[in-house]
Amino acid sequence: MAKVSNMVLLNKPGEKILLLGNHAIARGALEAGIALFAAYPGTPSSELTDTMAAVAKDAGVYMEYSTNEKVAFETALSAAWSGLRAMTAMKHVGLNVAADSFMSAVGMGVEGGFVIMVADDPSMWSSQNEQDTRVFGKFANVPVLEPCSVQEAKDLTKYGFEISEKYKHMVILRTTTRSSHMRGDVVLDKLPDEIVNKIRRVGKFEKDPKRFVDIPAHSRTFHPKILENIEKIREEFNNCPFNRIEGDGKVGIITSGLSYAYVKEAISWLGINNVKVLKLSTPYPVPFGLVEKFLEGLEKVLIVEELEPVVEEQIKLWAYDKGYTIPIYGKNIVPRTYEMDTKRAVKAISKFLNIDTPIDFNALEEKYKEISSMLPPRPPSLCPACPHRNSFFAINKATRKNAIFPSDIGCYTLGVLPPLSAVDTTVAMGGSIGIAHGLSVSLNGATNEEIYNKKEVIVATIGDSTFYHTGLPAIANAIYNRSNILVVIVDNEITAMTGDQPNPGTGDTPHGPGKRIPIEDVVKAMGADFVEVVNPYNIKKTTEVIKKALDVDGVSVVVSRQVCALHRVSQARKKKQKLPTFRVNPDKCTGCKVCVTTFGCPAIFWDSENNKAKIDPTMCWGCGSCAQICPFGAFELVKEAK
Amino acid sequence: MVKEYNIVITGVGGQGILTAANLLGWAALKEGYKVRVGEVHGMSQRFGSVISYVRFGENVYGAMVPEGKADVIISFEPVEALRYINYLKEGGLVFTNSRPIQPVQVSMGLAKYPSHEEIKDIVEKNFNAKYLSFDAESLAKEAGNIITTNVVLIGALTSTPDFPLSSQTIKEVIKVSVPPKAVDLNIKAFELGLSKAKEML
Ligand code: SF4
Ligand code: SF4
Repeated sequence: MAKVSNMVLLNKPGEKILLLGNHAIARGALEAGIALFAAYPGTPSSELTDTMAAVAKDAGVYMEYSTNEKVAFETALSAAWSGLRAMTAMKHVGLNVAADSFMSAVGMGVEGGFVIMVADDPSMWSSQNEQDTRVFGKFANVPVLEPCSVQEAKDLTKYGFEISEKYKHMVILRTTTRSSHMRGDVVLDKLPDEIVNKIRRVGKFEKDPKRFVDIPAHSRTFHPKILENIEKIREEFNNCPFNRIEGDGKVGIITSGLSYAYVKEAISWLGINNVKVLKLSTPYPVPFGLVEKFLEGLEKVLIVEELEPVVEEQIKLWAYDKGYTIPIYGKNIVPRTYEMDTKRAVKAISKFLNIDTPIDFNALEEKYKEISSMLPPRPPSLCPACPHRNSFFAINKATRKNAIFPSDIGCYTLGVLPPLSAVDTTVAMGGSIGIAHGLSVSLNGATNEEIYNKKEVIVATIGDSTFYHTGLPAIANAIYNRSNILVVIVDNEITAMTGDQPNPGTGDTPHGPGKRIPIEDVVKAMGADFVEVVNPYNIKKTTEVIKKALDVDGVSVVVSRQVCALHRVSQARKKKQKLPTFRVNPDKCTGCKVCVTTFGCPAIFWDSENNKAKIDPTMCWGCGSCAQICPFGAFELVKEAK
Repeated sequence: MVKEYNIVITGVGGQGILTAANLLGWAALKEGYKVRVGEVHGMSQRFGSVISYVRFGENVYGAMVPEGKADVIISFEPVEALRYINYLKEGGLVFTNSRPIQPVQVSMGLAKYPSHEEIKDIVEKNFNAKYLSFDAESLAKEAGNIITTNVVLIGALTSTPDFPLSSQTIKEVIKVSVPPKAVDLNIKAFELGLSKAKEML
């Protein structure tokens, strides 16, 4: 278990190691000789980006954390135009942010291979929606590759660069939470000399306005060319080494990406061996030549794929035109929502073949339902000592909860949970300010009215990274259009939820110091009507400043700045520093429950035997906030070192 | 060589579950198995309930243990064993660290935490399974640091009679994966878990 960066840079062809899917993709990109990587982090894609950040210097790769996916896409695109192999990575909803440039650039093509890694999140483990990027690929006419294992994640990445370069067409590598976050055995290939010798490659941009300037006269030529290209790639995919026919029988299963893994397990669990399987790693465009060969001699077919019927629709349409009459099953048996798994594959295949499932899943589900009804829920929560908790607590205090709270995407979204319950809406990155503005003009009278009749107090919350991501245009809009809102920018000086990446507010880059852009300077320059910076670890002061900001007409901004607790603690542990802890003095605790019913630090729990609060010393990170909110001063610093 | 061995590791985010899963994955790789480790990242890791899967053998493809197929569940927290009990096979085995971590909902009085007896009862009756709960944290402290709780639990797992990986391999992996200074303490934690489970089994 060496360090990830060492494993990914290990130049021992043939060596077998255990890698995370996202690490394997980074390795694949290096084996392909990638020269530039730019991305904005987003679970489940982040480890790819972080790995590239960790190895970039030693591999001669330019790497950056861009402020959002669109900017990252454009950065990588221009490298690919300049003949370099380039990559960007994002989560599914990130592609929506990049979509404007993405859709327009397809027809311009590329010179160096360009792979866009997009990580979908079926079942929405950490996302706001469940969208299938394969549909986006089809929409944009960009080929989509989808791995079935960690080994294939690496190899398919390399293949993606080759295909992209061969057809001068960008390519999507689509993963899912499961394939990105699964570890598996991977056999390494050779790294190219440039990577081994850390040679930073330089591209060359050949001007060609007909190609790179999408005025209507030029772009009119794009669409037919794109379609022609896609048909050529469809032909190519007939021979894609990752597409193959396995087994034999009168019934067939077509499956794509990780669903192949579940189908294989289901078949073996069901103990059947007379089925023919078409394994696809290219859900778009589906190679019809291979499908035609597969269908020979089959009596019926089942298509097993996760989420949308992407492969199914292509095949059914094609089969109809070709005059096929064999029954093709798909989403009428296979679920269209949430993650695929072996159980779901077993159920679908049993239904398809009219056989029993190996265990009685319905009985198991019944039993489980009963058991789970008696379990206390344990949703994720803001960390102990998290500064966001204090910000929300102060907002609640200052507004007496008498306000509407649009919020955004980040750790602070967890403020939705009790006891804070200080998040009323979240839509997408940067959306809090737009929503707050919309509410302001809808609820507080028209924008051009001279007097605002203050009916509603609106307090938006947004993180530092999110602010730079897409909060900037939104706050410009709110200020320009004379909103009456308070925006609390919860600045924990890091992009915390995705794993501590830097952003313009921190000024750090993977290569060392960049240039820091202080949030308060930006909003002041934009003309916000009130700007103040507070430290949320001082709850009283924070509450006062928020109250003051609420009295100001127009757009007020409070920057609530305190470094992410998780980040602080991990830095302290690295430096072997001891953290202070707090404890409850049982003589002073009256059992009023203020700490658990209004604040909710997970280190504080309730001792129901004595009816007093208690602190779990293994979880307390010593911020001292509880001492500030307890009306009876029951929380005190533990004096002796741990 | 087993055809398929499935481990489910559960607990609360931040308890070192990923490290435990990764360690077992490397040990299985070392013994020549095909390996799959499935893990949770991102928001769910923030003090929420988490589950990881470790699978090895000829027959594993997906990262998740299929429901009803886990040979063993290792839980860092009692109630979290129950939350994922649907993964356990009939006659399987559950190891859990005995110290409950109260969710905020329980502190607030919005939900109840089941008693130790209730949890044990459900596992044994519904799954015909063995339920072994012990204070892994104390053993970790005895070894020298509470953060080795995950290694204590791995030690316990290793002592089960039909566990396919050798304790030698696991120790070797521990030695190369933890910082040099922490090797002795982790090996001690491993041994303590191993002998504690032997005693209980
Ligand atoms: S990671 Fe940082 S920002 Fe996120 S909840 Fe924990 S302390 Fe708060
Ligand atoms: S000092 Fe209080 S509020 Fe801060 S982490 Fe410890 S228990 Fe939680």
